[in-house]
Amino acid sequence: MSTVLEQIEQQIARLQAGTVKKNVGTIRAIADGVALCDGLSEAKYNEMIEFPGGVMGIALNLAEDDVGCVVLGDVSKLKQGDEVKTTGRLLSVPVGKALLGRVVDTLGNPVDGKGPIDAKEYYPVERIAPGIIVRKSVSQPLFTGIMAIDSMIPIGRGQRELIIGDRGTGKTTIAVDTIINQAKINRVGLASGDKNFRPVYSIYVAVGQKNSNIVRTIGALEAAGALEFTIIVAAPAADNPANQYLAPYSGAAMGEWFMENGMDALIIYDDLSKHAVAYRQISLVLKRPSGREAYPGDVFYLHSRLLERAARLEGKGSLTALPIIETLAGDVSAYIPTNVISITDGQIFLETDLFNQGVRPAVSVGLSVSRVGSAAQIKATKQVGGKLKGELAQFRELAAFAQFGSDLDAKTKAQLDRGSRIVELFKQPAGNPIPIEQQAATLWAMQKGYYDALPLGKVNAAAVSLREFFVTRKDALLTAIRTKAALDADIESQLKTACDEWKSTFNA
Amino acid sequence: MSSARKSAELARQLFALTLDQGRLAPERVAAVLQWVEKHRPDNASAVLRALKRLVEAEVARSQAVIEYAGEVSPAVFAEVTATLSRHYGRPLESVPVARPELIAGLRVRVGCDIYENTVVSQLAALKPVS
Ligand SMILES: Nc1ncnc2c1ncn2[C@@H]1O[C@H](COP(=O)(O)OP(=O)(O)O)[C@@H](O)[C@H]1O
Ligand SMILES: [Mg+2]
Repeated sequence: MSTVLEQIEQQIARLQAGTVKKNVGTIRAIADGVALCDGLSEAKYNEMIEFPGGVMGIALNLAEDDVGCVVLGDVSKLKQGDEVKTTGRLLSVPVGKALLGRVVDTLGNPVDGKGPIDAKEYYPVERIAPGIIVRKSVSQPLFTGIMAIDSMIPIGRGQRELIIGDRGTGKTTIAVDTIINQAKINRVGLASGDKNFRPVYSIYVAVGQKNSNIVRTIGALEAAGALEFTIIVAAPAADNPANQYLAPYSGAAMGEWFMENGMDALIIYDDLSKHAVAYRQISLVLKRPSGREAYPGDVFYLHSRLLERAARLEGKGSLTALPIIETLAGDVSAYIPTNVISITDGQIFLETDLFNQGVRPAVSVGLSVSRVGSAAQIKATKQVGGKLKGELAQFRELAAFAQFGSDLDAKTKAQLDRGSRIVELFKQPAGNPIPIEQQAATLWAMQKGYYDALPLGKVNAAAVSLREFFVTRKDALLTAIRTKAALDADIESQLKTACDEWKSTFNA
Repeated sequence: MSSARKSAELARQLFALTLDQGRLAPERVAAVLQWVEKHRPDNASAVLRALKRLVEAEVARSQAVIEYAGEVSPAVFAEVTATLSRHYGRPLESVPVARPELIAGLRVRVGCDIYENTVVSQLAALKPVS
């Protein structure tokens, strides 16, 4: 009996101790997901503001006599005169491995109907990017599984590589294939028991997309068994602009958790054009002055502070970012594209013309670069693919000329022929990333002229058959290429034997 | 400048005129109102609404509104007000308001700040988080 009384006494003591201070205000006006509040004299920039009914908002405009808050969530029940209060907290989201395999909204709440997420930690959504001293240069590869990219525009862990192109040129497909490839590599690596193996976890942030597209992406990841290594942050087009504005930062916080805890992560922002539009909408409603294309003056900072959070950290892990930008009629000189091009470490430029000609993935080799990735490329790929980019760029130039003149000299003809073979070789269907060791074998055979005698239309099929042959019959050799990551004399002689053997079985 | 911003700016200027040594002076408020009546600035009603908000906020800042339940001695009100005056560095007017629905305890409001230690607020805090 006495213990019960003690408990009650303790409870009373606890209650008496607590004088709570809060800073309050009232809603003066509310429109388009933005609430203008009187009071809130202590609100800080980016602080969470609590509205009635547990709805949260963020203080974005601290004016002399009012505070502009974007509301995250249902505004329909809020009205003029409602009391609001500061929370003293910055917006945070759950982070950690518990989120893998899940679809969450901007605040990290599950939206996939698979039950609550048991997150142990929270990270603030807005975070200062790592400084110069703690950063390490990019030197470890991140394989996309797309041959044209891994061989010519290689990406390293901690890099920020932009995927840019018009609508329907395969931007999302490249991003999703890259995630699928990480899952494939993770499976093989984790099964091998190699202590030094570093898996890559992926975060896919969908901003302003149609729900049907998001569902399709989730379906593709699930079908490929990649969902268990992936977190999906969804802020679809129907979501309010505040959620769309914040979703990339939420995703970045989830990625930072992996980086801070010594792991590697990959984050896709699909896409930042729609993100900028959501931010423009908020800024216009907040009556901030607008500039070029009606974007507010700090739209550069919007993306720079986001992308700077991708890094490789000394003694920790890395966060690689693949932002996506959608252009209109291939115009890369519009405001948002030029901004993001200048922030990233290179871009993969996709062209509608190529896509329509059937060159898919429609990577424009001439306009695509990776400024830091070659330091991360493995030796094997360098050995077989080192000159390809130059050759292909030259081929495009020659091909443009060849349209005008009919009589070409033998050397030009040979160059054109070789170029079109390379183009054929690089064609790759969606959802089918190729492991790096198979890429090396494919390109090695190219370099040694194994496809030269074939009619052009058969080159790609030959490469597919070669890879099948290697997978079913030369698994040890593939493993050797993968683990050594370079082609030494021994491997090359084995490659020769294997390719000769394949050639005798392959009839075009 | 947009008209809304112009009204806000004018309201701020008028508000500055209502203060005498940093404190709201009723005769000055009356003078300002007379001026508005006479000169009819653009959007006079918007200006007055903005002015009202500023004055309201100023009044709230200069008062310690003490809501209480149960028997509270005047000495407590005086002490609370004195403490808060020191804290904010300006003299506050003590405005006690009886509020039986608080059950027991005090809720003090100065400007946008609320200090609360009442049974209702603690009961609310006890509610299991949904
Ligand atoms: N390499 C490819 N091979 C064949 N079809 C592709 C390839 N890449 C993309 N596609 C198809 O093109 C369409 C548009 O691709 P998507 O990635 O959604 O484009 P974007 O994100 O640029 O709008 C999709 O139907 C997709 O299946
Ligand atoms: Mg897309």
